[in-house]
This record gives sequence, structure tokens and C-alpha cells, in this order.
Amino acid sequence: MLSTLYAVLFYVATIFMIVGTAMKVLKYARTPAPLKIPVSPAPRTKKGVWFRMFKEVAFFQSLFKSNKWIWIFAVLFHAGMLLVVLRHIRYFTQPVWGWVELIQPIGVYASFAMLIGLLGLLIRRIVVPRIRYISDPSDYLMLILFLGIVITGMGMKFVMPVDILAVKQFFLGLMRFQINELPASPAILTHLGLVAVLMIIFPISKLMHAPGVFFAPSRTQVDNAREFRHLSAWANQLPPLPEGIPEEGDV
Amino acid sequence: MKRLMAFLVIVFVATGGGAFAGSLYPEIPKAVGAAHPEGSAFMRINHMKLLRHDRDETMRLGNRDTQYSLKECVACHAVMGPDALPISVKEEGHFCRSCHEYAAVKVDCFQCHNSKPDAGFTALLAQSPAASSDDIAAYLDGVTQ
Repeated sequence: MLSTLYAVLFYVATIFMIVGTAMKVLKYARTPAPLKIPVSPAPRTKKGVWFRMFKEVAFFQSLFKSNKWIWIFAVLFHAGMLLVVLRHIRYFTQPVWGWVELIQPIGVYASFAMLIGLLGLLIRRIVVPRIRYISDPSDYLMLILFLGIVITGMGMKFVMPVDILAVKQFFLGLMRFQINELPASPAILTHLGLVAVLMIIFPISKLMHAPGVFFAPSRTQVDNAREFRHLSAWANQLPPLPEGIPEEGDV
Repeated sequence: MKRLMAFLVIVFVATGGGAFAGSLYPEIPKAVGAAHPEGSAFMRINHMKLLRHDRDETMRLGNRDTQYSLKECVACHAVMGPDALPISVKEEGHFCRSCHEYAAVKVDCFQCHNSKPDAGFTALLAQSPAASSDDIAAYLDGVTQ
């Protein structure tokens, strides 16, 4: 019963996340950027933009330039999460890939980095008056949701282990459209429930900054307004003026 | 749509989709002695804690009279190779490996400890209070097979 419920939950969550995110990304891609607005100092070639985006995505360059201590917590959280997520690949592959097996122990340490990063970012929201003033409930919600996932996950690693063989069987089963028994331990059910919630609200949350950064004209545009005229695609395709409207200079 | 289907097929193949025909669960070799009084489900999720706890007891506190011992684990869960001798953890089909490979968890124990039972492991098993004479007989059957 519980297993069926969670199976349906995860199918729904996966569809929400993939379809929802795809729709949002499509929307971002189709949104016109009529003006040339790269934040300077900006690269003047396409190659330079690739380099700038790499620095932004891999090292959070703009955050580093603006605030060092927030950058530390952000990197702790994001890098930790990357390793933890990679570690979880073992639940979806059989046999487990060699490099996934290799990084298993690193992922355990990464969970602490993730926890420290999240706590730092949460304290920042509460303690810094300016940030507190502009914080919405959803800002807190995302942090608390991640904290819940991390704490239940670490709890299963360090305090109350669960039968991860059964958990893996459950997820391998889901990928083959069969429903296997999920261990009815509160920790794993909370962990998976929160992850499903995260997947469902991902496309309508601030977490869309992940795909969104690739569509930010202030970062992705080449600073070549002096060399080329910037004309957005939609402006280029405008039909000629309808009849009856005087062209410039007719009157 | 075609591209999506192709992508799903690639994911399925890449994640070892066809590797398991029937069961998605590892094949766990049967032990020869009496069942754990705590139950296999308990052991499956807590064995590492018991071993680690007893290691600290023995190594740091010098208490050699602990409840669990790796030697007994290895003896009772020995898997026989084609030559009817216990196989080591380096060989396919070792008891520990069956799950640890599936879960991608490294076993550190056997970097120092022996993954094969000692020569006197039958005697060790006979002393184990949980094993009845039937269990020992069943175990000896397992050895001779």
C-alpha cells in the first residue's frame, strides 16, 4: 500500500519535474531579449562568454565578487549537493558504475558540507536585517526543505540505518515499471517524501535559477554592440506596417 | 517524441536495464548455522554497528569477551567454491560481496581480517549456543556438498 503510494508519488513527481522544467526552459528560450545588456566588464567574443558562463556556473564568480562569506556557504552547499547526488546514482544503476563506487566515501563527507552551507544560508536570512526584510516564506521553505532532506539522509547514514538493498530494489523496479516493497522506516519515508515534494515544486520555485542562469542576457550576451547592430529575432520578423498608416516623411 | 524515446532507451541500457531478468535483488547465499536471534532484517541494517562497537570494545578497551565476532560471521556465512573450500572476498559470490557490490559499499574488514574461516571454524560453530545439533548437521552437510 505504502509502496504503491510512493511509486505513484515518484512517477508524478518525475513528470512534474521534467515536463515543468522543460516548459519553463522553453519559455526562457523564447523570451525576447531586445536590448544589449551584458554586465560589464563583459567578454567581447562568443568564446569569452563561454568562459564567463563556466566561471559563473562552476565557481559562482559574481557572488564571489559581491560577498565572500555568502559565497563560502553557497559553495559548501552546492558542491556538497553535487557529490551527494552523484553518490545516489548507486540506487539507479546495476551494476554500479566504477567511478560512482569510488566517490561513495567522499559523498559522506559532502553531506556535512551541505548541512553547514544550508545552516549558514538559513542563519543569513534570519540574522542579516536587509536579507531578512526581503525574505519571502518560499525562501525559508526551500532551505527548510533541503535541511529536512539532508538531516533525514544523514540520519539514515549515521543514526538509524535502513535496508538500502530494499530501497535500491524499489527504485530499480520503478525504472522498469514494477512496484517492489519499500522499507516502512520513518526516516526513508520522510526523506523520499521530501524529495518528491522538492521535485514537484522545482519548476515553480526559485530553484529554477539553475537552468535560468543560462538564459540571463546580462551574462550570456556578447559585448559587441559597437561592432554589430543588435536586433532581436522577433523585431527582425515584424511585418511591414499595415496600409493606411503613414510612413515616416509622408505627411 | 522519437528523440525522447531514444533517450529513454539509452538511459535504460546505460543503467543496466537488461542485467536483471527476474529479480532486482541480489542473490544472498544461505548461512549454515542457526538463524540470528535478532532476525536477518535487523542484521542486514545493523551488522556494521555491531562489528564496529565490538571492535572498539576489543581494541581500545581490551575486552575480548564481546557478543559478536567477525570470525563467527565469516565461519557461518562461508560460501564454498568449486573445490568445496570456503572462498575469499576476492572471489565472486562471497557472502559479503553479494550485497556490498549491489549497494556499492566498500568492505574494509578484510584488508586486515581473513575473509575465509579458520581451519577450526567447525569447532567454533559447535560452541555457538544458538546452534542446535540439527543446525550443525545441516552445516556439515553444507561443507561436504
